[in-house]
Amino acid sequence: MHVYIYDDYLSKGKYHKTINRLEIRLTDLGLNGKIIRLGGIKNIKGAIQNEIKLGAKTIIAVGNNQTVNKIIGAIIDTDLYGDFQKKTLLGIIPIGDDNSIATSFGIKNEAEACNILLARRIEKIDLGLVGKYYFLNQASIQSSGTTIVINNYSIETGEKGEIKIINLLSDNDTGIKSNPHDGLLDIYIKTRKKDKTCLTAKKLTITSSENRLLIDGVMEVETPTDVEIMKDRVNVIVGKNRMFE
Amino acid sequence: MFSKDSKLEKFKDAETIIGSSIRVKGNFQGQGNIIVEGALEGSLKTDASIYIGNQAKIVANTEAKDVIVNGEIHGNIKAKNYLAIGGTAKIFGDLQYGEISIERGAVINGQLLMLPEDHKRGEKIKTEEKENTPEK
Repeated sequence: MHVYIYDDYLSKGKYHKTINRLEIRLTDLGLNGKIIRLGGIKNIKGAIQNEIKLGAKTIIAVGNNQTVNKIIGAIIDTDLYGDFQKKTLLGIIPIGDDNSIATSFGIKNEAEACNILLARRIEKIDLGLVGKYYFLNQASIQSSGTTIVINNYSIETGEKGEIKIINLLSDNDTGIKSNPHDGLLDIYIKTRKKDKTCLTAKKLTITSSENRLLIDGVMEVETPTDVEIMKDRVNVIVGKNRMFE
Repeated sequence: MFSKDSKLEKFKDAETIIGSSIRVKGNFQGQGNIIVEGALEGSLKTDASIYIGNQAKIVANTEAKDVIVNGEIHGNIKAKNYLAIGGTAKIFGDLQYGEISIERGAVINGQLLMLPEDHKRGEKIKTEEKENTPEK
């Protein structure tokens, strides 16, 4: 059974046409299923957990990065997670802005997402963990005044720039090949001096006197905080144009 | 002889790059090829190769299979296979190597010690075995 989780912002008028088109396409492909609209639900976690209990085979996030994170947040670290990992797939239908997670999985738009759901190309994906928050794509922080400690060494720079801790690559500008099932986080530092630094780690601690760590572009976390990788945590339906092998 | 082109080819896919604005403190240990362009204090070790750029300032003992030095190092270097010292290198420490090449202009303040032949051969066999093992 497919369960489509519609994010609340999709109730806005400007998305009606897109949603109608999407639902027609899903019906044509025989992919129709239950629809849950988050707008009318107070207990989002409970609603998603209930669908897994009822035996949902595929949970599809219809929305953006936040929608995907809400679904992951609802299932990870719960008693249901074991069942979810074994039996349930996560699909994504991107609508609107802020869809870098879908882009990483090779899903450009809602029309392409329907075909990808039909093809059911499945990949086991690692998740990043910052404190108690999980992330699929990346966490980022300004480099100035920030120190990273990995195992027996520390890294810092006085230059202004950005530090990205990447699980799943969302843009090809970095020139690094991040692999979301290698059990490693890719640390990428780019400063105004235009030099680049990249290395990998399973676990690290970030401390910054000035800045907060931004998770998947939506949530800020105070430092010091630990960041680590959790291997093969979610089964995701991906497109053939995904940004990893 | 030391060649920049061969360096670039070998380190094109380096797993670890320390940029020129970065400072690393502690025991830095990698498994793949490492490029250091910034500052490092502590120790530096990998099973593969290390390239030390001409802006790099290292206060550490360095150990790898192959080491290419163009920057400044205060500490001992052990290159089990091949040590290449470029013309801009400044080394203050002892060097151990299987093979060595030194470009004109390099500054070396320390002892040079060639590793025993069997040690070097062992490294070469290991390398050949690695190269001949089909990838899984």
